[in-house]
Amino acid sequence: MKFTRKKGIILSVAVILLGLGSIAYGTFTKNLVYFYTPSEVIAFPENRTGKKIKVAGLVVKQSIKITPETRDIHFNLTDQIAVIPVVFEGVPPDLFKEGQGAVVEGYWGSDKTFHSHLIMAKHSEDYMPPDMKKAGGTLPKKDFFKTLNLDPGK
Amino acid sequence: MFIEIGHLAVITALVVSLVGIAAPVAGIRTRNSLWISVGKQAVVLNFVLLTIGMAAMINAYVTQDYSVKYVAATSNSHLPIFYKIAGLWGGHEGSLLLWAWILSLYCMMAVLIHWKSQPVVMPYLIGMESLILAGFLLLILFLSNPFELLTPAPADGRDLNPLLQDPAMVVHPPLLYLGYVGLSIPFCFAMAALFSGRLGEEWIKVTQRWTLLAWSCLTAGVLMGGFWAYYELGWGGYWGWDPVENAAFMPWLVATAFLHSVMVQETRKMFRVWNLFLIILAFSLSLIGTFLVRSGVLTSVHSFASDPGRGVYILSFLSFMLFLSFGTLIFRSAKLKSQVEMDSLVSRESAFLFNNLFFLAAMITVFLGTLYPLLTEALKFKKVSVGPPYYNAVFMPVALGLIFLMGVGPYIPWRKASPETLKRHFLIPLAVSATSLLAFGIGGVRDLYALSGLGVVFFVLTSILFDFGKISRFWSRQRNVSFFHGFYAAFRLNPRRTAGIVTHIGVLVMIVGIIFSSIYQTEKVVVMKPGDEISLKSFKIRLVKLYGVNGPNWAGQEGLFEVYQGNRLIANLRPQKRLYMVSQTPTTETALYQIYTGHVFMTIPEVADDGSWARVRALYNPLVLWVWYGGGIMVFGAFLNIFRPRRKEIYPAAEPRKKYPPEERLLSQKHPQ
Repeated sequence: MKFTRKKGIILSVAVILLGLGSIAYGTFTKNLVYFYTPSEVIAFPENRTGKKIKVAGLVVKQSIKITPETRDIHFNLTDQIAVIPVVFEGVPPDLFKEGQGAVVEGYWGSDKTFHSHLIMAKHSEDYMPPDMKKAGGTLPKKDFFKTLNLDPGK
Repeated sequence: MFIEIGHLAVITALVVSLVGIAAPVAGIRTRNSLWISVGKQAVVLNFVLLTIGMAAMINAYVTQDYSVKYVAATSNSHLPIFYKIAGLWGGHEGSLLLWAWILSLYCMMAVLIHWKSQPVVMPYLIGMESLILAGFLLLILFLSNPFELLTPAPADGRDLNPLLQDPAMVVHPPLLYLGYVGLSIPFCFAMAALFSGRLGEEWIKVTQRWTLLAWSCLTAGVLMGGFWAYYELGWGGYWGWDPVENAAFMPWLVATAFLHSVMVQETRKMFRVWNLFLIILAFSLSLIGTFLVRSGVLTSVHSFASDPGRGVYILSFLSFMLFLSFGTLIFRSAKLKSQVEMDSLVSRESAFLFNNLFFLAAMITVFLGTLYPLLTEALKFKKVSVGPPYYNAVFMPVALGLIFLMGVGPYIPWRKASPETLKRHFLIPLAVSATSLLAFGIGGVRDLYALSGLGVVFFVLTSILFDFGKISRFWSRQRNVSFFHGFYAAFRLNPRRTAGIVTHIGVLVMIVGIIFSSIYQTEKVVVMKPGDEISLKSFKIRLVKLYGVNGPNWAGQEGLFEVYQGNRLIANLRPQKRLYMVSQTPTTETALYQIYTGHVFMTIPEVADDGSWARVRALYNPLVLWVWYGGGIMVFGAFLNIFRPRRKEIYPAAEPRKKYPPEERLLSQKHPQ
């Protein structure tokens, strides 16, 4: 009697854990979104297009253009090495500006354009996405020195 | 001048906190209670010193002393006084100082309150609290010093982040910290129990109210943050599984599990190691939460630029605390074998067991999603982020399970429930829930999540009302008083239980709000010109005009929208797009129209400079206010529990007093039929 009772409790705990675990595992791997830099994106092979990714970079100065009818936003994103064109449909964040850092979420199309529906710009004054730090040059001096400290290779 | 005094006070506090560690150790070694009194003085002195430090910082904000670097970075002479003071917790350095001050406050209160009644625990409590405080003060003084001066002093400050210039943001961080830090009291009592070997139920009884207080503050803080995100960030939701939200949510989940599982130990002396484990985990998570948010390791809207020195220190301090607490637990756990075994799968013990299982599973889910991206980055793998659908998919079944248990746990007897008891208690609630499901199904609710959620909510609600009704009637008959007096008698006989049920009712209200505002939300994002009209559900929204407006420290554009229901004008909404002058930061101001307990929600994230068009986001969020009404009830229930009246029998029996059976048996078996 005692044996089966214990077994019942352990069994039901195990069933719940397994159920939740399988839901978690299934959705976890599906919802992982990888970060890339524009130079990596431009080197994508054909079969990598269409997958949801994030790209971090700087919005190139004087590159923002708005389509009058649909109000889609076209701009270029760079990591100082390569430049990719981005088409954005949606609501741009408050801090989205030319010459500023931005992270765009979307997919790289076979038309060699990044199609995005979500832009993240950061609101803290100090803040710079880590990938931007590696880009170095365009940052204010204080942050530039921090960048040097950050990289153990130097 | 003041700022140097403040700085000096905090330096002294570091030295005093070292005394606070050493004195109790000496006291235990030499068995001289004088040393422990020295520890007590150190704790009180530390609170005074840190208060001086805080006062010096606040003084610098109020007198606009921009020679203090941190003040210059987070304040500006144009700010209203309210936001000048709130600038203290607008950044990393000041937040940590606030954390340390709250810790010293809690510590002093705990030591003074329990000094007489808990003499054996005292040295360990003082030592542990001082250790944590010293760890924070080291970080504050050497790696993120808010007292640091700036030469030459700038003429004016760089301004507080406009998004933080908001009443909710003035109270949100202190509340959250009161919650985080409040968990240190039960944590230190648990550690004291481990060190001193007094591993009975005493530490749990002593810290019960402290845990509730911390939990209430944490809950209120998280809710406040959600409310702020809702109207200030302007994307229409209140919870986005942002790492910073998760950082506050993880200790909340574990603290909630702890609040429940201690009841098993109190009544049945089970779960002893488990409870120690839970409280250590909860406090560790609140440390991790503080550091995640304030160290810049997170790529999130709240994080600040990272400083490698800080990161290394934080990581070492954290590992030290984890090793110390979990190490001691493992070392002592052999002593803690519980003699009592679970009697049945159908019992209150096992309801608590599953409650803990679900809370822990939820915590691990959030932990994985929040820290996996950090881990891959640290290991120099490809950078990743984890999307909200992951959390939603796991939380749906977890939430359903937990809500279901709310309807079962409080009403199922300890040890073992017989089929008759089950039938007596749950047949009616199950029937009501099935009927309500049918009604909702016919009424047009088609979404599976909404249906199952509402079904479970109705089951719990009927369980609660059914039980309230039964005990009220029992006491009103027993004592020959009215039904409501009967309820009051039952409340006074077991105030803790009743207060707990009030919190449960709050959860139900919140769940209904979450279900409706997320599943039945309607959103439209369109570009509109003045004169254009859109329809949103049964509403018609017309853009009348766009025009310029100016505030004290910002300039912007405002849209005038007319909201019609049918042909009747019900509201004028005026969302804004602002540009804060000092920091040149743009913000989007939401306009809300409350209709019953829902909102018509409008923002204009983009406006043409000449006012010829605007991008408009319009949402209808039905029942969204229930989320915060429910949260309010939850916190009210917890406060009712903290300040509950002494358990007392009012309306004494006319015949000679007979001893009452323990209330658990009373509720489960002795009910009148």
